[in-house]
Amino acid sequence: MSDVILTMKNINKQFPGVKALSDVDLEIRAGEVLALMGENGAGKSTLMKILTGIYKRDSGTIIYNGEEIEFSNPKAAQDAGIVIVHQELQMVNHLTVAQNIFVGREFKNGLMIDDQKMNEEAKKLFDLFEIEIDPKENMGNLTVGSQQLCEIAKAISFDAKIIVFDEPTAALTEHEIQHLFNIIRRLRDRGIGMVYISHRMDEIEQITDRVTVLRDGEYVGTIITEESTKDEIINMMVGRTIFEEPKQFSNVPADAETVLEVKNLNQGNRVKDVSFNLKKGEILGFSGLMGAGRTETARVIFGADKKDSGSIILNGKEVEIENPTDAVTLGIGYLSEDRKRFGLMLEKNLYENMSLASLDDFVSNSVINEKLERKIASEHVVSLNIRTPGVSQFVENLSGGNQQKVVVAKWLIANSDILIFDEPTRGIDVGAKQEIYELMNDLVNEGKSIIMISSELTEILRMSDRIVVMCEGRKTGELSIEEATQEKIMHLATKRD
Amino acid sequence: MKNKLKQKSVVDFNKFGLLIVLVVIYLLFGILTPIFKPGSNFFQFSRILSALNYAYFIGFLALGVTFVISTGGIDFSIGPVMFASALIAGQCLVYYKLPLWLCLIIACVVGLLFGILNGYMVAYRFLPSFVTSMASMQIAKGLGSVFTRTQSVTWPPRGEPNSWFRNLIKFGSVPTGLILLMVTALICGFFLFRTKPGRYILCLGSNKEAVRLSGVSTKKWEMLAFVICGLLAGVASIFYVGAYATVQPGLGDAFNNEAIAACVMGGTSMAGGKASIFGTFIGALIIALLQEGILALGFSISYQYVLTGLIVLIAVIIDSKKNIKSV
Amino acid sequence: MKKTKNISQNTVVIGVIIALSVLFSIFSPSFRQYSTVVTLFSYMYYILLLAIGVTFPLITGGVDLSTGTGLVCFSIISSYMFNHAGLPLWVAIIAAPIMGIISGAFNGLMIAKYHVPPFIATLSMSMILRGLGSIIPGGLTGVWPSQGSDGDWIRSVLRYQTEDGLIIPIGVIWMIIIIGIMTFVLKHTKVGRYTIGIGSNRTALSLSGVNVLKYQVIVYAISGFFTGLAALAYGWTFTTITPGTGAGFELDAIGGAIIGGVSTTGGKGTIVGAAIGVILISLLKTGLPHVGLQANAQQIITGAILMLAVAVDMIREKNN
Repeated sequence: MSDVILTMKNINKQFPGVKALSDVDLEIRAGEVLALMGENGAGKSTLMKILTGIYKRDSGTIIYNGEEIEFSNPKAAQDAGIVIVHQELQMVNHLTVAQNIFVGREFKNGLMIDDQKMNEEAKKLFDLFEIEIDPKENMGNLTVGSQQLCEIAKAISFDAKIIVFDEPTAALTEHEIQHLFNIIRRLRDRGIGMVYISHRMDEIEQITDRVTVLRDGEYVGTIITEESTKDEIINMMVGRTIFEEPKQFSNVPADAETVLEVKNLNQGNRVKDVSFNLKKGEILGFSGLMGAGRTETARVIFGADKKDSGSIILNGKEVEIENPTDAVTLGIGYLSEDRKRFGLMLEKNLYENMSLASLDDFVSNSVINEKLERKIASEHVVSLNIRTPGVSQFVENLSGGNQQKVVVAKWLIANSDILIFDEPTRGIDVGAKQEIYELMNDLVNEGKSIIMISSELTEILRMSDRIVVMCEGRKTGELSIEEATQEKIMHLATKRD
Repeated sequence: MKNKLKQKSVVDFNKFGLLIVLVVIYLLFGILTPIFKPGSNFFQFSRILSALNYAYFIGFLALGVTFVISTGGIDFSIGPVMFASALIAGQCLVYYKLPLWLCLIIACVVGLLFGILNGYMVAYRFLPSFVTSMASMQIAKGLGSVFTRTQSVTWPPRGEPNSWFRNLIKFGSVPTGLILLMVTALICGFFLFRTKPGRYILCLGSNKEAVRLSGVSTKKWEMLAFVICGLLAGVASIFYVGAYATVQPGLGDAFNNEAIAACVMGGTSMAGGKASIFGTFIGALIIALLQEGILALGFSISYQYVLTGLIVLIAVIIDSKKNIKSV
Repeated sequence: MKKTKNISQNTVVIGVIIALSVLFSIFSPSFRQYSTVVTLFSYMYYILLLAIGVTFPLITGGVDLSTGTGLVCFSIISSYMFNHAGLPLWVAIIAAPIMGIISGAFNGLMIAKYHVPPFIATLSMSMILRGLGSIIPGGLTGVWPSQGSDGDWIRSVLRYQTEDGLIIPIGVIWMIIIIGIMTFVLKHTKVGRYTIGIGSNRTALSLSGVNVLKYQVIVYAISGFFTGLAALAYGWTFTTITPGTGAGFELDAIGGAIIGGVSTTGGKGTIVGAAIGVILISLLKTGLPHVGLQANAQQIITGAILMLAVAVDMIREKNN
């Protein structure tokens, strides 16, 4: 078999309040793609950040080429030939492609940076992998897919022995994914060891040789991809057999009234002519790749961004939603994919967060009735099963799942009838995920209606009564849950004009 | 309700600690003064009164800027705006012979207008607050100069007609200024911590976008913080002239820093979202005490500048350390 | 694409400069004189130097508010070294930029290492320098050699007087050279590249192994260095410097840079743009009195221009 180039053994890492990794092992071999799998929060990213010198481990050993090593910063790891392609692309938009690739190790000509040589080297690199990007282009002008390729080219240019890909395909089209896989195969042929983090089973099967699974910060095991089935891997990941069975049929009666109708919605080049409707008590799934325009559509409906054209009909009446205030007044609530940035005030307590969208109801004689705030908040802590020492706790001290429930509580208190969940379970662990799903089902049973944007196909198939698929700003199809399959959705999600 | 406010401040050890700092500084100057200037005594009631004179206008400025800092913004124009108010209103009183009550209103209105300008530019036109307020600082300085033709203005001294405004500082032997400042602080505390606009202002500093996406008209409330700040700068000008009478054009920016220092010392976070009115109040007293003490030791005002600069730096470093730890 | 935009903005500002010059010339006979040009340049040098310096922090998304009082402080202290501390003139001259580098590096350290917001760190520094400018020389006014006294050669560095009394503003040449050098630094050296990088995406930079802390300190040190140079230019032009002044110069410099297309949100800006912006500001400063506007009304105009420039910058950012 191929040679082991790097071994991580008994790695431990403690964050305040969380044991992120305990005694994790990992082995990377030359000319091999190792899949690193696990649910969100299993510790994959932390482990890779330790490997590439971004975090320091608390204990454990890393042996690289027969020597024990310790990287104090990313540069040290890079210099040793270990690089990571980050999930969130790290590009300097105001510099050119070549300048980005060689940032931190510019070619110099005396005091001067040799841009020409950098352009040439970048071109060579691109040619090698048949990437067609102009090295002199400004990074900010490239598509996400192209930026991803630049990031990979940058990783290769370090004369890397080990490359870590952290969910590299999240923003790529099918075509771009195949291009990426070709590059990965070539790198494998050149004897480079790779770690591939992804949630997508079909990719794991296509491109990886072995799979190492982590769960809740612990090492579960390593298996050979070819010899194992999808179910085995999933079982290792969740530790128990969960049947994430798709919903069989819609729970919405055929004659249910339409609560929301969106007609020919347009906004910039992110939302193009989108029309759909939402029925009372329905969970309408929005599927598509990253950048398909789903979040943008939601934001325009909610008034967070201004629409260019189109109409929104609420309960049979056309409404003008100029800003979120209008949307909230009309009974629409939006739960952002990025809770920490757009949903919560982390350094405020539970009740201040929960009452934010309906503070008027808590004001009597122009004084905020804090007693009432606490009471209502406590009620929701109980009914939503939020695990917290109390309602005066800062939200930043809660886990992702409980934070999400705080946002849900905010909209319930504000009496929203239509809830837009944008990636409702992102960053939430398996157990809490289940609770969020149950919560969403309870909500529609109570007569609320939900638009659910999700990039996880299993989530879409499990929760939705009907599915809208988008690609590059357009709605490319609509499927009833009875007819929907992963394949059909993927086909629509990559369908371009 | 008042009990509640008090409770909060006493329970909080940080704020209690600030009181100790105030006392320690007072004692320190008391000990040092006879050493630096043999024969002079810091423990005189007149020293306290003189320090209080300084504390009033700094206090009003600091209370106002606490609102802006709570939103995560900053206002560098308060000192010059205070001077512009004092100059314009003073000119109206002395030169144009307008009635005193009207001039006091004019002083407040000038401050208010600058607050509206800053607030509009920051909240509705999305300018960074520090540039906006630096620009309006220039405008305020220029306006004050132009209005008085670069002359200084002296408000009537005690005993002359039109001098009853001095009773706002001291009425007989009653330090009315202190009472008014404390009442204003209580109102500010009530407003910031107990009412809807106050809550929104604090929330803005925590996460503006989350507040907007909760259906709150953030622009309105952000602007309000600047308007309050401007208004209080106008009010501060009355207390400035009540204590010092003469105002020169083209100055006032040193007071920005002292007011901001009072805030950050008092526990208001430059990152926004966290404020303490009680802390600001004590912070203003400390600043005033420092300036009185430095003069008592025989040092020039330049030392006050250096000291204030250092205080702001240290207070902000401590605060940002706290923030980093909690992340 | 972006390049054309930059050019067009500079063109607009240059257009305004020409239009204003024509207007001033039409309405004011006194403005049409050669001496006005000389005065214009004299008023421009120190603002220009400050602006070149502050462009670096601005591009990183920060700011330096300590340059105004810093200028006065350094100018007074270094003239004090020469006049009262018995040091040779050249030592005093070198001292100014060195003091600038030290205070700038201190700013950078506060910002990069202790996470103090740039405007707070540099504002505190501006207070400290204002105080030190009085404390160190004991409250004395700064005096640089005037015409005819010892060491008066410094006066001809910026304005050369020919035998028949004609004054040639040769400082312009120095400025052009400095603009050239700093444009090169910004475009073709590591320091410049990382300045842009910090303003655009500092995480990316540090993940690429760049020592962001070090370069942030350098950026503020550059600003300090130019404050030191500006201190010399100011002293050599105006000879006497009153302690406690200088607050407000930094705004002219920042305003000029922003008018010239340096973005307050970081990542964007050129030295040439900043210089053109400064020319506009200086033109207003020298030109407005000629058309009957009081000198102190200039502050109002400076403030208004600054606000306007940032507003335009914000609109531009939004459109992108």
